[in-house]
Amino acid sequence: MIECLSCGRRQEPRLICADCGAPLSASLDSFAALELPRKLSIDLAALERIYHDLSRKIHPDRFASRDARIRDASLRATALLTRSYRTLRDPTQRGLYWLELNGEKLSENNKRVPAELAELVFEVQEQLTSMHDASPDSALIADVEKRRIELQATMDETVAELERNFNRWDRVSPEIPDQDRKMLTTELKAILSKIAYIRTLIRDVDRALENSKAA
Amino acid sequence: MARIFGIDLGTTNSLIAAMEDGAPRVIASRETGKALLPSVVAIAPDGAVTVGERAIEMEPHLTVERDGKVSAVGYPGGEYGAVIRSVKRYMGLGGDELAPEDRARYTFTDVTGPVVRFQIGKRVFTPSQISAEILRALKDTAERALADHEREKVERVVITVPAYFNDGQRQATKDSGRLAGLEVVRLVNEPTAASLAYGLNKLATGNVAVYDFGGGTFDISILSIKEGIFEVLATNGDTHLGGDDIDRALVDWLLSELPETVKLDRHVWNSARMAAEDAKKLLTDLSETEIVVELPGHTVRKNLNRDNLEKIAEPLIARTLKRCELALADAKLKAADIDAIVLVGGSTRMPIVRQRVAKMFHREPLCSIDPDQVVALGAAVQASVLMGNQGDMLLLDVVPLSLGIETMGGVMERLIHRNTTIPTSVTEGFTTAVDNQTHVDVHVLQGERELAKDCRSLARFKLGPIQSQPAGVPRIEVTFLIDANGILNVNARDERTGREHSVDVKPSYGLTDDEIERMLEEAIDLGEQDLEERLLISSRNDAEQILGALRKQLGEYGALVDRSERARMDEVAERLEAARQGTDRELIAKLVEELNEITTPFAERIMDAAIKLALEKKSVEDLA
Repeated sequence: MIECLSCGRRQEPRLICADCGAPLSASLDSFAALELPRKLSIDLAALERIYHDLSRKIHPDRFASRDARIRDASLRATALLTRSYRTLRDPTQRGLYWLELNGEKLSENNKRVPAELAELVFEVQEQLTSMHDASPDSALIADVEKRRIELQATMDETVAELERNFNRWDRVSPEIPDQDRKMLTTELKAILSKIAYIRTLIRDVDRALENSKAA
Repeated sequence: MARIFGIDLGTTNSLIAAMEDGAPRVIASRETGKALLPSVVAIAPDGAVTVGERAIEMEPHLTVERDGKVSAVGYPGGEYGAVIRSVKRYMGLGGDELAPEDRARYTFTDVTGPVVRFQIGKRVFTPSQISAEILRALKDTAERALADHEREKVERVVITVPAYFNDGQRQATKDSGRLAGLEVVRLVNEPTAASLAYGLNKLATGNVAVYDFGGGTFDISILSIKEGIFEVLATNGDTHLGGDDIDRALVDWLLSELPETVKLDRHVWNSARMAAEDAKKLLTDLSETEIVVELPGHTVRKNLNRDNLEKIAEPLIARTLKRCELALADAKLKAADIDAIVLVGGSTRMPIVRQRVAKMFHREPLCSIDPDQVVALGAAVQASVLMGNQGDMLLLDVVPLSLGIETMGGVMERLIHRNTTIPTSVTEGFTTAVDNQTHVDVHVLQGERELAKDCRSLARFKLGPIQSQPAGVPRIEVTFLIDANGILNVNARDERTGREHSVDVKPSYGLTDDEIERMLEEAIDLGEQDLEERLLISSRNDAEQILGALRKQLGEYGALVDRSERARMDEVAERLEAARQGTDRELIAKLVEELNEITTPFAERIMDAAIKLALEKKSVEDLA
């Protein structure tokens, strides 16, 4: 329970006082901050509407002439709101965050190259090594630039795959059999670590391209 | 509730605006009738401050005398007094960040410390103090203009800053407000403010790009506007790229044949800069103009056409367009997704800039609101939002640069990414690396590079004292919070004890709170007079200036006035001289105006005579 600084009412943690509408500086998870159930599938248009609506009510611009404590609560509540919105808006970040809330994590040994990416990783590494070695010629740079576009396409496909399956993973709950739960979270982890891997490759390619331009 | 005013504290010009009958309006000076106040501050050797047009007259420059001789006038800097223009370029800068050309232009006392310090007369001024003088002048302007309406005071303000300003530059701007005795309710990014000015009636829903090319800075902001929410998606820019750079390039070209020592002379350089700036402005409408700079014993005369100017401007424009591409990429949009482009800043008057921007976004930019005024008008709209008068309208801005901390091996670990909506916060856990360690040092950075040494140092602080414990056991949670002004706040909590740690954040650049306190006290010690008193001094200065000028002119050109004219001048001058000793400000102002009026024909005759003389001399030279 938290107490509203403006009207004194004690209530369940939220970002807005149920009585007087003043901002509340509560510590909430991202789903709770946006008043959503802990589900992976989220309608982005609806999410944006909630975010805008809450922002209109608790943003520091609305409390510029109030006392310092209320201004501070508004600042903290809005910081939490914007951070939560950014996390939930992005499917990958939402997936990772959801895992964390469910006591799971992409473990360190997930750094192993996912099998279906092995060939791609090998090819990219080879290209990057030759970029690094000599002063790369324009043909090589063009190849790497082409690779960058392909990687982005792979990324987009994988994220789309993630989103397609959100509904299925939303079934994960303490009520379903352990075995099913394990299987579903393992699947989710596999696809998230694939995304993490592609992201690393894209970052490496970007760096190599940037260095070749600087040289 | 007292009104909140909107201030555009620009590199070249500054303005103050407020809402009136539901519409934002700039406030014009009662005396000059102008709303634009040149951001130029003159400080005399005795510390007397002048801001605006009259400060420009005191800039070091060359002038042609009656006998055709060219002489140097104005405050040349250092102990002889100085005139600072474009002080915004120095806001938040450390002494070690000054370029050699800055040091050619002004005299600095400290070129190593965390703040740039100008040496002027016997005193030292930081950029925040100089900016505070501009803010004070705007406050005076507004209060005088509004004197008829129940003597409204300017106390709470919104000040605009370039979107790409870093934490130090924002803090320095806030400090200048404080030093001017103003409560800075909010800092607002200039391009966002411009979108608010247009947003009131001209933009509905969609994606908007604001291209803001001013005197000293360039910003591009991409916004999404939906049901009164102005959400910035991405911003990019360069805080040292503007019309000033075009002027400097023109000066280099103008003076290219002269030896380096002559070029760097403050009088020569500034005369050339003034001529270059005028030519640049003329070429907005003309296709060709002649630039003349009179030097002692030498005249620089060059033709500049629009093609030449565009060639000089082209690389600078290319840099702005590159920034536009980066902002679009961060907003995850393509040029074709942009529904409207808004032009802001004096440099967007150049036809070539308009053409290039139109080409990049495949559409004609909007420029129906004066690009010099649109930011101030937007600041007034935001002030009105803060007063709760704009219904559902709300601005959601972003932090322009990533914020992080230095980790092992000098690597920058990003905690808050650029273009994150503000306010935002992130909490990071810290622990000890060796047994019984009592403090943990944290180094906060801002920037996009991977290595700490390539990012800008923002602040350092020490966590502790920590209870003696084995390495890795203590857990201190540090919250980095960026407020709606884009300024960082830090606090720390010991996770085990739940105790708040006080964090003594030492900014790497800028003024400490103690220093600001001292400056405020100093200002009071120096006789920080109330408005009336300052106005009186200002009108006395006006009187002194016009009386001095008249004496000098009568001495040299006395032959150009007839007896009755002379008698009238003497009579008014005598009355002004007497009034100047008294305290009736309005009487002094009235007499200054009167004297100005009756001496105008005389001044015109002097000008004609001087030109005639210069021409005669020229033709003699031509014959020889």
